[in-house]
Amino acid sequence: MKLLLIEDEQSLRETIEKYFSEEGSMCETCADQQTAIQKIAVYNYDCILLDIGLPDGDGFAVLDYVKSAGKNECVLIISARNSLDDKIKGLNLGADDYITKPFHLAELKARLMAIFRRKAFDSNSSLNYNGVSVDLLGRTVTVNDKAMVLTRKEYDMLLYFIANKGKVISKNAIAEHLWGDEMDMLDSFDFIYTHIKNLRKKLMELSGKDFFATIYGVGYKFA
Amino acid sequence: MKLSAHYNKASIIVSVSVLLISGVVYYLIINHIARQQLDNDLSEEVEEVVDYVNHYQQLPKPIDFDEDVTTFAKTNATKFSTVFFDTPYNNPKEKKSEAGRAVSALIKVNGQGYIVTIVESREDTEYLIQIISAITLALTAVLLCVLIITNRFVLNGLWRPFYFLLQQVKKFNVADTVKIRTIDSTVDEFKDLSDAVAKMSSRVTTEYQGLKTFTENASHEMMTPLAVITSKLDMLIQDEKLSPEQYAQITDIYSAASRLSRLNQSLLLLVKIDNNLLKDTEKVNLRTVILDKAQQFHEMLHNKHIELDYKLDDLEISASKYLIDVLINNLFSNAIRHNKNAGRIEICLSGNKLCFQNTGDPAPLDQDAIFERFYKGRNSDGTGLGLAIMKNICTLYKFKIGYQFNPGMHCFWVEFD
Repeated sequence: MKLLLIEDEQSLRETIEKYFSEEGSMCETCADQQTAIQKIAVYNYDCILLDIGLPDGDGFAVLDYVKSAGKNECVLIISARNSLDDKIKGLNLGADDYITKPFHLAELKARLMAIFRRKAFDSNSSLNYNGVSVDLLGRTVTVNDKAMVLTRKEYDMLLYFIANKGKVISKNAIAEHLWGDEMDMLDSFDFIYTHIKNLRKKLMELSGKDFFATIYGVGYKFA
Repeated sequence: MKLSAHYNKASIIVSVSVLLISGVVYYLIINHIARQQLDNDLSEEVEEVVDYVNHYQQLPKPIDFDEDVTTFAKTNATKFSTVFFDTPYNNPKEKKSEAGRAVSALIKVNGQGYIVTIVESREDTEYLIQIISAITLALTAVLLCVLIITNRFVLNGLWRPFYFLLQQVKKFNVADTVKIRTIDSTVDEFKDLSDAVAKMSSRVTTEYQGLKTFTENASHEMMTPLAVITSKLDMLIQDEKLSPEQYAQITDIYSAASRLSRLNQSLLLLVKIDNNLLKDTEKVNLRTVILDKAQQFHEMLHNKHIELDYKLDDLEISASKYLIDVLINNLFSNAIRHNKNAGRIEICLSGNKLCFQNTGDPAPLDQDAIFERFYKGRNSDGTGLGLAIMKNICTLYKFKIGYQFNPGMHCFWVEFD
């Protein structure tokens, strides 16, 4: 996957770049609106990660350019403003999703994968990983061609893990993904444990393989 | 007591006492002058008697004295000084006793001394004094009436701009954009006051707006550094060479960062509610929202073995769906968070009143403090803004919110309009 990241905060730019590059996909970066438009004009990307608070104007201009130039990159807006107006404006201008700072890298990745899948595999809407096959339209999962019955939370979690395969995901990131930030963190950690235990058991039964690794107290890795 | 009433009281007391004192003085002076006049008359009468005696060498007959009563008494005294005195006067025509003035003097007729006493009626002067007193009294009354009426109407009219200003100050709310209008008054003091109040209110409003903008900007500016912290942590845990102690520390940093982020979001939400920025008002069915939330919190309820009991009527209100969601969410999460294991929650929505009751701490909460920002209960690990947010949402829509403690149950209620 070819990615363009437009973000003016240097350390955030570097971290996101590193997290996404490890996949083997390519991630290019730039820090302002002018460079971004120049790059988009010359190259083709699959996805654009766009911070709307840029030093030389807001990122909506970049979004405008993408749409008016007839490009079909998916655009994920990153904003420091949790503002309904900005969100509506961004989505109306043709952005595919909107994420508010601060976010977990795993969340960013999962969102990006979701919009990328929507665009790239319009007809073929299934996701395969090591014998686990997810039908995104029917919301059903088969493991080695055997159907697996999952609760909604387990299904969401499985997609989240597949999008971030090979990465350690913190419990905080999982909790925020599943419950948003309205829930009490301490309580939700217990639920995560229960959900992962169930998902792990179901996957083990059908594939005979343990997909999950527990990383001390901090989180889980799916591989 | 109003200022005009105070003024009325003072001016009436002063004018009545001045009028009374001057009335008394007036009476005394008139009385004195009238008496002197009478005494002059009587002296003339005595001189007439003396003239008569000198001319005719005999006493005049009483008939010659018009209405005056004259008596002659023989005396052997050779010296007698003329005296004036008050005495009753017997009106010979009307046969009644009246107030009178008399004079006694010594005259000599053919060597025989007589004391002549002439009594004159004082009725006429008394009458005059009475009329003068009556006129004075009437004038006093008229003056008082005029004073009261002018005070009432003229003063009230003068104070009108003041009351107008006062009304505006009473209605003044820093969060509003409504400005205090200056008043047009001919009274310099009121004009000054009005200008000062208008200036002060606009300064207060500007500063309040500035403070809110500051809060909003500060919260937004903190989001990017928070994003850096979170993403760096996400990167850090990918390094599998870390020791368990380091992971434990990372977990703590995660919690602190997510707490800070929630705190920030709560502050931003408060600013948004204060500024009335969420204008997506629509019809919201409260019953549906509560049932949805109950579903969402099912896991938490189950985990704590809390029994949920509800009795919900249908109620539709006009509000932002998002804010009502936040309101119900906070009611639920409070009722669960501060509950005990195997406790219970009772939700009752009847009429326009919603009531969330939960078991928990056996002691009641401090009613006055719980809705304050950053007030936290003994064992609370929340942001301390949850109830403040609920209160602000209710204030925005003019709902009433309150807390009461029924034995064993903490009850938060909201009354919708």
